[in-house]
Amino acid sequence: MNDRGPSIELIDVHKSYEEGERTHEVLTGTSVSIRAGERVAILGPSGSGKSTLLNLISGIDLPDSGTIRVGGTDLGALTERDRTLFRRDHIGFVFQFFNLLPTLTVLENLLLPLELTGSTNGRADDRARELLAAVELEARAGAFPDRLSGGEQQRIAIARALVHEPDLLLADEPTGNLDQDTGTRVVEALEALVAAQGTTMIVVTHSRELAGRMDRILELDHGRLREG
Amino acid sequence: MRLLTKASLRYLTHHRLQLLLSVLGVALGVAVVLSIDLAIQSAQTGFRISAETVSGRTTHVLVSDLGSVDERLLNTVRIDLDITASAPVVEGFATSSVLPGRALRILGIDPFSEGPFRPYVAGGSTGLDVSELMTTRTGVVLPASLAEEGGVSVGDSLPMVVEGEAWSVPLVAIIEPADELARAGLADVALMDVAGAQEVLRMVGRLSRIDLRISDDEAGSAELEAIAGALPDGVGIESVGTRSETMSGMIGAFDVNLTALSLLALIFGMFLIYNAVTFSVVQRREILGRLRALGVTRDEIVRLILTEALWIGIVGALLGTLVGIFLARGLVGMVTRTINDLYFSVSVQGIDLRPFLFAKACVLGVGATLLAALPPALEAAGANPRMAALRSVVEGRARVLVPRAALVGSILCAVGIGVLSIPTRNLVVSFTGLFFIITGLALITPAGTLVLVAAVRPLLGRVWGTLGLMAARGVGASLSRTAPAIAALVVAVSVTVGLGVMIQSFRGTLVQWLDGTLRADVYVSLPGPTASRAAGTMWPEVIEDFVGHPEVSGYSTYRGMDLVRDGEAFRLVALELDPRGEGAFDFLEGSSSDIMARFRAGEGVIASEPYVFRRGLERGDSVTLSTASGDRALRIIGVFYDYGSEQGTVMMSRSLYDRLFDDPGVTSLGLFLEEGADSERVVGDLLALVPPGRAVIARTNDTLRSASLEVFDRTFQVTAVLRLLAFVVAFVGVLSALAALQLERARELGLLRASGMTPGQLARLVVTQTGLIGLAAGVLAVPMGIALSIVMIFVVNKRSFGWTLNMEVGPEVLLQAVGLALVGAILAGVYPAWKMSRTSPALALRGE
Ligand SMILES: Nc1ncnc2c1ncn2[C@@H]1O[C@H](COP(=O)(O)OP(=O)(O)O)[C@@H](O)[C@H]1O
Ligand SMILES: [Mg+2]
Repeated sequence: MNDRGPSIELIDVHKSYEEGERTHEVLTGTSVSIRAGERVAILGPSGSGKSTLLNLISGIDLPDSGTIRVGGTDLGALTERDRTLFRRDHIGFVFQFFNLLPTLTVLENLLLPLELTGSTNGRADDRARELLAAVELEARAGAFPDRLSGGEQQRIAIARALVHEPDLLLADEPTGNLDQDTGTRVVEALEALVAAQGTTMIVVTHSRELAGRMDRILELDHGRLREG
Repeated sequence: MRLLTKASLRYLTHHRLQLLLSVLGVALGVAVVLSIDLAIQSAQTGFRISAETVSGRTTHVLVSDLGSVDERLLNTVRIDLDITASAPVVEGFATSSVLPGRALRILGIDPFSEGPFRPYVAGGSTGLDVSELMTTRTGVVLPASLAEEGGVSVGDSLPMVVEGEAWSVPLVAIIEPADELARAGLADVALMDVAGAQEVLRMVGRLSRIDLRISDDEAGSAELEAIAGALPDGVGIESVGTRSETMSGMIGAFDVNLTALSLLALIFGMFLIYNAVTFSVVQRREILGRLRALGVTRDEIVRLILTEALWIGIVGALLGTLVGIFLARGLVGMVTRTINDLYFSVSVQGIDLRPFLFAKACVLGVGATLLAALPPALEAAGANPRMAALRSVVEGRARVLVPRAALVGSILCAVGIGVLSIPTRNLVVSFTGLFFIITGLALITPAGTLVLVAAVRPLLGRVWGTLGLMAARGVGASLSRTAPAIAALVVAVSVTVGLGVMIQSFRGTLVQWLDGTLRADVYVSLPGPTASRAAGTMWPEVIEDFVGHPEVSGYSTYRGMDLVRDGEAFRLVALELDPRGEGAFDFLEGSSSDIMARFRAGEGVIASEPYVFRRGLERGDSVTLSTASGDRALRIIGVFYDYGSEQGTVMMSRSLYDRLFDDPGVTSLGLFLEEGADSERVVGDLLALVPPGRAVIARTNDTLRSASLEVFDRTFQVTAVLRLLAFVVAFVGVLSALAALQLERARELGLLRASGMTPGQLARLVVTQTGLIGLAAGVLAVPMGIALSIVMIFVVNKRSFGWTLNMEVGPEVLLQAVGLALVGAILAGVYPAWKMSRTSPALALRGE
């Protein structure tokens, strides 16, 4: 992906869900453009379609109409499999919870994206440990996730989302489950890593404080994004 | 190792109980399939080896439809046709008090003709001096294994009972077969000289057959033609293969039925796998969704789940083969006994551990596992990567699927009915139709469950308040996970009901038939090797003594012969009936008194239902029989219900028989007693009349009846065992699925505990819910079971055996079904309830 110019482009995106007989319109023709390296917060009430939006940007789901371009690639033109491979290579994800595979150790969880993208040489291990060090959890490399606190789990999740150096990081309420202090630590870890790698980042959050630390705030309102 | 593989291995080892149950499911399925295959194979191998050993290098045989040929035919063959490679054979069965529980196969041969045929007789490696057999008329030669078992050595005399006659024959030699095969083939053979065998078998002047060796070239074909031209009426030439095929063909339907039953166990095993894999996918729904978000492709997820299933399949199959060998040891005895009871005498030396059968069972097991794991694997691949793959969405989708599944199920049932109505006697077609219907019914169950639960919800609400409502709603709300378990339980129970009703109806029909057929007070026959079939010839003087008994007021005689015509076996019977015995027949159509009047007059024959069914005949058609004076076509004047032989029976009056055949013999006797006579005492009197050295079996009406039912019950023993095994597989599956479901609700239940529900209330909630599922399954299984039994009774059984059965649905079978399902489901709730009530709500809430 190129450094300059728009990294993400949404043009007149519509998305609705069938709910029994009636359809529920979640996105009603929204457009937005996000530059490479930009750090964007998305705010909006629960149920407004924030997660839906992230799913569309990551190619997990497809819009009913409209175009979504990520790094110049039109996701709508890719097959399901190609979208998955695209996601594997270019996108990192952090969710509110259930981020880690419970049956893999912390280190193995970090190695997984590297293995998936085929970079399983000796450097993978170094890279994973490097990220662990960056989130200050080197000591827990061999532990299983259920031994970690919620904040620690989220920091590991962040490390894992960035270990394969994606161009884009999507975070869906990464601190939604944490208390304020822990949340702050997690956000600091996130900022530090993103800054180091120059990654484009979109964070969905309810926290005004977290939103305030981003370059730009978008609000999702009645199915459309507008500058906040 | 790849990380994903590592993750899934760790998942499996963390859920040991689940893993164990799925492995068990595969193992049981494989074990049942393998053991039935092994049992059938071993019986067939036993039969084949002894047939091959006995026929040696024979290529063709001269046999008569009448069962034996005149020994003068041998001269025709040797002198007129100049065929030197020919040997006379007399065959029959005997028992010996020193070899209890064994049927000895008497093989009467001419040692000087044996050169080209049976190497073990013709000296050489076995070192048998043929002259030994000639020195004493009734001398017998035993294989070493039998001699040892009976504790007899050369020079001793061997006690033997042949067709009721006691003999004491000198053991003139012992042979030690050179190889394993010959040893197995000769394991039940007692060799005698032709003349000796003719004497003990009372076949003087007759031969069972003449063995020939004809080369497979032009000269050979010319010889065959010459022979065919010179044969008297009623004698035919057959190749050896055809003969043993006819014999093993007799047990064809029996084999297919057992195999189908064993496949059923495998299908239940598949339900277990399906349950376990579905459950493992459901449990990991979030994680699989995360993996998809990380960029793991659908293919990779499918591969991951299928690889897990593959390992389960492989381990299960290996375990199953071990259990299968063990099971086979038990089953082979049952199968062999049934064959001996119903078809022909066979001795099985051991289990024929044929590698092909192991391969087949393993491939079936692993294949079934993968097949069962495929739907959940595909479902896993579709796992919504978004975290909000909320259960309510999933359950909502499941609810949409319920009516669709019911629709597909109905279509499958319709297809099944369509397949069943194809007019064919092919059993594979019937079972295919049946399996369509079973699968269809399984798909209808979730809808049925919803309807049932909705129906009892108000009642539960009134009895248990909110708790009851919650339990009822919980069943519907968790349908995506409970549906397979419910379907498995319903199918298992309905198959149990179906088989139960079928066996009950069969037995009921048999009892009714026996009541109608067994008119005489005392039945007399000779001891023989096959329980359900009298054979041999009674001594005229004994018959005279018996009918002369002061309390005997009348009698019927019965002459039965097992014949083969056009490659199909059947029984020919000649009857001389006491007027009291005439009402014994129940005809499919026509007036019984008219038919019996024509029967007495010798206007034709009556044939049993299986006989006409197998040959596609009906009343008014004719049957061609080889008689003493050539082929004779006889009209079928009536078709009667008969459950004594699946091969079929043709009966004619004794007077007609005497006109057609030169055979004054009588096989068995039915005696009618004076009013008020005590049949037990008369039986005692009669047995006292039997001269020493002779044995007959005289039984009262009641004894014969219960002996017949005993044979019936023995026949269905294998079915009963399989029914039980299949049920155990399904039961374990349901138990595990429901228990796992409740355990998985730990978080939800913890919440209830936290909000003030007592452990007792919680237990009631869980048990009510699983109990509801059980009740629904039991109730649904009843109509489905009855539907299945209708198919089994009127299609499968009819096609297998040609028998019309009266359907009989006893309440106990139905209550048993509902009870079993209910108990199973409640049990499935008890463990999780107990476990939940012991864990602190805080712990449960922490969840994953
Ligand atoms: N797979 C789905 N099927 C039906 N409705 C859905 C689905 N996913 C989301 N929704 C609905 O779409 C709306 C937006 O959901 P979501 O994007 O998760 O909102 P947010 O993340 O802003 O809370 C909600 O009303 C939700 O119920
Ligand atoms: Mg959301």
